[in-house]
Amino acid sequence: MELQDIFYNKVEYVETASGNKVSRQTVLCGSQNIVLSGKVIVQSDAIIRGDLANVRAGRHCIISKRAVIRPPFKKFSKGVAFFPLHMGDHVFVGENSVVNAAVVGSYVYIGKNCVIGRRCVLKDCCVIEDNTVLPPETVVPSFTRYASSPGVCIGELPECTQDLMLEFTRSYYQHFLPAK
Amino acid sequence: MSHILQSDVVRYACTCGSLKPLSRIYFCRHCLKIRCGYCVSHEVDSHYCANCLENLPSAEARLKKQRCASCFDCPSCLHTLSTKASTVVVPSSDEKTVTRKLYYLACGFCRWTSRDIGYPDQTVASGGWPEKENPHASRIYNLLEHFKTLALREKQEREKKKKFIPRRNIYHLSGLSAAMARKRAGLPSIGPSSLKDDVGGPAELIPSAATEEVEQLPEEIFTDTLNLLKVTTLKQRLAQPEFQPQTVDELYPAHKCLLIKRSQRCRSCEHNVSKPEYNPGSIKFKIQLSAHYHVPEIRIVTCEPLRAGEKSEMIIKICNPTQYQSSLQFSPLPSPEEEAEELSKEIEERKQKVDRKDEKTNREDVLLLLPSICRQVSITEDPRPVNVALTGDISLPPVTLVLPPRDDAAEYDDSGDTHNFQDDPKIVVWRKANKAAMKLVITPEEDISEGRDVIVGFVMHYTYINTMATQLLEQREPQKVNLKVKLYITVGKVVGK
Repeated sequence: MELQDIFYNKVEYVETASGNKVSRQTVLCGSQNIVLSGKVIVQSDAIIRGDLANVRAGRHCIISKRAVIRPPFKKFSKGVAFFPLHMGDHVFVGENSVVNAAVVGSYVYIGKNCVIGRRCVLKDCCVIEDNTVLPPETVVPSFTRYASSPGVCIGELPECTQDLMLEFTRSYYQHFLPAK
Repeated sequence: MSHILQSDVVRYACTCGSLKPLSRIYFCRHCLKIRCGYCVSHEVDSHYCANCLENLPSAEARLKKQRCASCFDCPSCLHTLSTKASTVVVPSSDEKTVTRKLYYLACGFCRWTSRDIGYPDQTVASGGWPEKENPHASRIYNLLEHFKTLALREKQEREKKKKFIPRRNIYHLSGLSAAMARKRAGLPSIGPSSLKDDVGGPAELIPSAATEEVEQLPEEIFTDTLNLLKVTTLKQRLAQPEFQPQTVDELYPAHKCLLIKRSQRCRSCEHNVSKPEYNPGSIKFKIQLSAHYHVPEIRIVTCEPLRAGEKSEMIIKICNPTQYQSSLQFSPLPSPEEEAEELSKEIEERKQKVDRKDEKTNREDVLLLLPSICRQVSITEDPRPVNVALTGDISLPPVTLVLPPRDDAAEYDDSGDTHNFQDDPKIVVWRKANKAAMKLVITPEEDISEGRDVIVGFVMHYTYINTMATQLLEQREPQKVNLKVKLYITVGKVVGK
């Protein structure tokens, strides 16, 4: 099924020189610590907590409505420390999902209403189905699908996942158009 | 992404008769046929742990019962356990207190810890955890040994029969190995292997006996109140088949099961269609013949509401994924008679191939003596017709659609399409790089009830440039071949009048 056009209010979104489309209705804390590498879409009511640590999102990422991107912390004997959050290219984060991962690889699909626990590592080419809760420090290997609470491996992905995800995020960007 | 883009909507028919979305099928470049997961043989390339991503050779993995040596699953919620450190003050002999680090296993999801079951804390961060012995370990070991001896004996008997068939080959003359020559001559082999050959009778084994008497349930089960919080769930019990604990205090951490990387091989030509890199962290492939890169992709763009017996327009997008220009044509599905004829032709072709293969293997019969070298002979399934009831009719335009090759730079090229195709604007709605949208008319059946799926099917003929240098024909030039694939599209549900 081909994606349908998604129209947005032109006044609401800011488009940067590198093609990032960021809604004005977002909470981007510590914006100097947030790097969006280009053609990234951040939709309304999303929260990116750059004030805690650096957040880097690769090219062609999509952060949907009401998603929260929050760097993970680690408890030490004297207080806590926050670690930077790196997200690869062509990553999709669904609506209402909370991402607390340490690393999100490239070509990763995170569904709606997911909770990605503290310091999780999502490798390249993996899918987190809708409504999944990944406990802290989970490792999701490549070409696996995780679902349910706690997240367990429920299947594997086809070999061409990389290109499917590439095409999906690219066509999402192409279909994300200002309303006339 | 099968579920994201609902690619189950358009299904491609494999030669074996099953229908699969494009992302789940392979295209064998040697047979020039579509192969699905059922028509390829799956081979395990490497084992790795899902948590620590450590790569284990298959022999070692088998020794460790396909489980990771260092990672544990929580017995309560089946999530991976993490090692937690705690500092303990230990009184030292010379009145000084020394702080030491002690480690225990804890689940980050359900808060289960190894202290719950009374495991002592460890002084080292990894390893050293007590292993629970399987209560039936010795019995299983005995059985395994018994069947190993039986297998060995059977093999020897088979070899004895073989020895009477005289065979000559070049290996015999060149004297490949002295041991093999001895074996061929029917002499007992020398060296440590002779110990193995001398099997004798199978070891004494007491067969299991069924008993009529089953132990009675204990008295307490009827009198004591049951605390459900202390009883394990079915899922927890089945996660540990060797112990099947009944109460939560018997839940012991289990080693994490390994995952595999596997390669796929076409069963009829024995060439790989997919071979991943060994490294579990890598997403690259040494061989990648997914149909996604070789067969034109079809997607539904829009479709008018479907009503029984009425025409509705559907726009599909066709994409050429190859590096070469391809021309496409469409034709209706073959009638059952035609299809049967096609299938029998296919079976005949396959039989010839198998015969040829047999001849080859006869000559190389030395391989039979070395079972470790020879791969398991793959069994090919006979092709079968597709078993799908069509619930609609599709009118196919009698045009030839030419699609330009894929160009990754086209995305950044704003100059527009320079190709000049004489398309009928009534059929081809738009074109962009290697993609084109086409209008088709669908008529659902007259008597189809509301809410039913409308399934239409057609055959897509496409030209494919075969770049495989076929050694037999000494052809270096890429060859143009005409291929076809059957497609079934689940357009949507019928709406009321």
